[in-house]
Amino acid sequence: MKKTIELLGLHPQVSDYKINIHAKESGELFFVKGKLETVRCTDTCDKEVTVYVDHDEFKGESQFFIYPSTTEDQLRELIDEAVKKALLINNKKFELPAEEQGSYAVESNFKEYEPAELAAKVAGAVFGANTVENASLNSVEIFINKHTETVLNSRGVDKTQVRYDAMVEAIPTYNGADQSVELYEQYNFGSLKVSDLEKEIAGKMAEVKARYEAVTPDFAIDCPIILNPLELNQLFMDIVFDLHYSSVYSQSNLFKKGDMIQKAPEGDVIGITMAGEAEGNIRSAKFDQDGMSLGSIRLVDGGKAVNYYGSNRYGQYLGETPTGELRCLCVDAGTLEDEAFAAGPYLEVISMSGLQVDFYSDYIGGEIRLAYYHDGSRVIPVTGISISGKLSEVLNGIRLSKKTATYGGYMGPEKAVLNQMKVF
Amino acid sequence: MSFSAFLDSRRASMKELVGELKKEYEYVSVLGSDVKARSIRADRNTSNISSGRDTECGFVVKMSNGSVFFEYSLDDISGDMKALAAKISGAFALNAALKENVIDEVHLGDEPLVQSFARPSDLADYSEQQLLDFCKNTKDELLTKSEFILNAVVMIGSLEVSKLFISANRELDQHYSWVNGFMVAVYRENDKVVQVREGANGHLMGEVLKELPTLTDKLLHKAHMLTLAKPITPGVYDVITDPSITGLIAHEAFGHGVEMDQFVKDRALAKTFVGDYVASPIVNMRDGAASVLSAASYFFDDDGVLAGDTQIIKDGILVTGISDLASATQLGLPATGNGRRESSRRKAYSRMTNTFFEKGSDKLEEMIASIDHGYMLFETSNGMEDPKNWAIQCVAEYGIEIVDGKLTDNWVSPVVMSGYVPDLLKSITMVSDDFKVIGAGSCGKGYKEWVRVSDGGPALKARVKLG
Repeated sequence: MKKTIELLGLHPQVSDYKINIHAKESGELFFVKGKLETVRCTDTCDKEVTVYVDHDEFKGESQFFIYPSTTEDQLRELIDEAVKKALLINNKKFELPAEEQGSYAVESNFKEYEPAELAAKVAGAVFGANTVENASLNSVEIFINKHTETVLNSRGVDKTQVRYDAMVEAIPTYNGADQSVELYEQYNFGSLKVSDLEKEIAGKMAEVKARYEAVTPDFAIDCPIILNPLELNQLFMDIVFDLHYSSVYSQSNLFKKGDMIQKAPEGDVIGITMAGEAEGNIRSAKFDQDGMSLGSIRLVDGGKAVNYYGSNRYGQYLGETPTGELRCLCVDAGTLEDEAFAAGPYLEVISMSGLQVDFYSDYIGGEIRLAYYHDGSRVIPVTGISISGKLSEVLNGIRLSKKTATYGGYMGPEKAVLNQMKVF
Repeated sequence: MSFSAFLDSRRASMKELVGELKKEYEYVSVLGSDVKARSIRADRNTSNISSGRDTECGFVVKMSNGSVFFEYSLDDISGDMKALAAKISGAFALNAALKENVIDEVHLGDEPLVQSFARPSDLADYSEQQLLDFCKNTKDELLTKSEFILNAVVMIGSLEVSKLFISANRELDQHYSWVNGFMVAVYRENDKVVQVREGANGHLMGEVLKELPTLTDKLLHKAHMLTLAKPITPGVYDVITDPSITGLIAHEAFGHGVEMDQFVKDRALAKTFVGDYVASPIVNMRDGAASVLSAASYFFDDDGVLAGDTQIIKDGILVTGISDLASATQLGLPATGNGRRESSRRKAYSRMTNTFFEKGSDKLEEMIASIDHGYMLFETSNGMEDPKNWAIQCVAEYGIEIVDGKLTDNWVSPVVMSGYVPDLLKSITMVSDDFKVIGAGSCGKGYKEWVRVSDGGPALKARVKLG
């Protein structure tokens, strides 16, 4: 990388540069019907250079990749080509982050293991968690990743962070006399707690049995809907995307600072913070792609949009103090106690094809693969139904649980109650 | 534009590595990928020339000793091949628990073949300056057409693919390109903001640049109508699907369920329906990289199997599925050329390519005229597969109400189709005599492993649940 930095520094038209290096080691295991089918390892390193050229009142930029085979002559050509491309780009000027150095590690117990060793340990926990008769895991894929990320720039940023993530994709299956059914499970984690993993998988095995037993209701369902963290992440991330600097700068945002996201809240008021790091959150990072140190910012308070967030460049374009690319979604707990969930009737969504959230069309809905209908005295697993509602009305009446959960990149209420939804 | 000089420079090393690993493994192959993606974009405030997200350069080594498959992804194959082979082998020391529980014996085939493939491309005829000017001019033209546009984005993305596959008996290389152009308008009218898009795609840049500007009026009409769109009243309706929604049904509702790695895992209900009616007798469906020329057309797949053209449904009967090499071998069937990887860093799975229903004999206007009350559905938003249980979730951007056999001005948006796949496919009563495959899509397996795909077909008349 020294030669690259030297050549970039010597080029008369290069105003600034940034180099992103991403080394990835992974250990991956793929099981088919409980038996090992494929073992994978990756040992790769991406090196991407961004060249910035200030010309007239503009700043242009262009990127290229460096490969192990890239020679010095090719490097000179790549820099020349990048400069020519950057000169075509007439974007508003901005300043790169400056003068920050450091080596960081995002907290994780993964560092105690080699990726392949950890993958084997995770496999043991996953298969050991299935104790449901007639249930199996027809497909399990385990990915353990170690990322070493470095950002260097011409203004004195030189930072490296090591972070880990893992993903288990499992297909719990229940084989009954009449039919075989399955659910889809994707469990992401940044630190291994075997008991949590076992609880997650065991829960899914019980749910797939329920899907087998589920019926398509021959009675009308008209009751509140309960969503879990997977769907809540989708719902709240859609709000967060709208408040991103790039959405605001491109004028594609629906909400502006000061706008009420909940126009007339009748339930819990929504509060959202985006953070660089959060305990157990797989999106935790110390800095972003530009090398910006990551803190946190309150985006929604009392149901009202109060801030924007995003990258260095778009933050400066908007005249904001850039927050950096914050990726951990933290939603305030609500006021609903556990006891409130005991009373029926309500429909608790367990698995959907995918929650559709569309602020443009004021729509929320989707197809339900499994839900529990609590009629006040019984719990009936149901399938083959869909839900839909007017998003603005649903947000006004949303109730959020006091109890919180962390799920992948989401930290917030474990459950939400949606009213004014149609079940059909 | 020609085949990657970098991959060519590694050809000898790849062969040497295969030779070294063959001393230890029954089957060894190496796939080298050099993919140059370029994205050129202009909106109201900014412009950009960047490497597209598909850019990659690397290798994946695949090995087997008649049971477990081993794969190692790396950046380069050069230097001491004995040492590299030892490093790769050393990475796969399995613990006792894993060793004891592996799949049954399976031996991958490696039939001899040496061949080079190339598809003509005009990418070299267009400079970044020309393409950036095109994006800026088209964006400006769009902005001048309506005062209601808050922002307009025009983007041209190109992909130049070189792949080299080496095994003990095969040496294949291919070079081809693909171009996607699209424009998006953020539009505010009638106190409502909508985002609309139109796209053009093909293997020649010249054709995409010609077609894209012709779509601006269609884009703006759609934007205007969507600001007036209402939610649909949930219910079961007669519908006509446009080629995009036809493709969505082919892809999401049925296509994922015939990816034969799901057969191996007992994840696909389709496995038990081969030879049975799964659709109306007027329904025919295909998939294949060689079926049509579109976004997922290649000459050989990432397992080194030549591209196929697979008839999946014939006259309503399920004929077969689509497979990668490992799945086909485990099932005792010939591979169909559908082994695809997101990149050289990811595993190969059975994946769709260009997936479509074949055209029929009905006229679109007669199909619309046959409906008393229903909707014509347009433009894919998204969909989700459920291969085991054949539940459907397909989301159309919008629908237009049909009353007394005529399209009205009543638009609804968005529209979610749900139900049970065979119910939908068996409800198809008319198939139009026109046909379009749209090559702008990408597809995940579950929520990952993204590859470029196309889908489409004729207009279909069916009866489905909408909400």
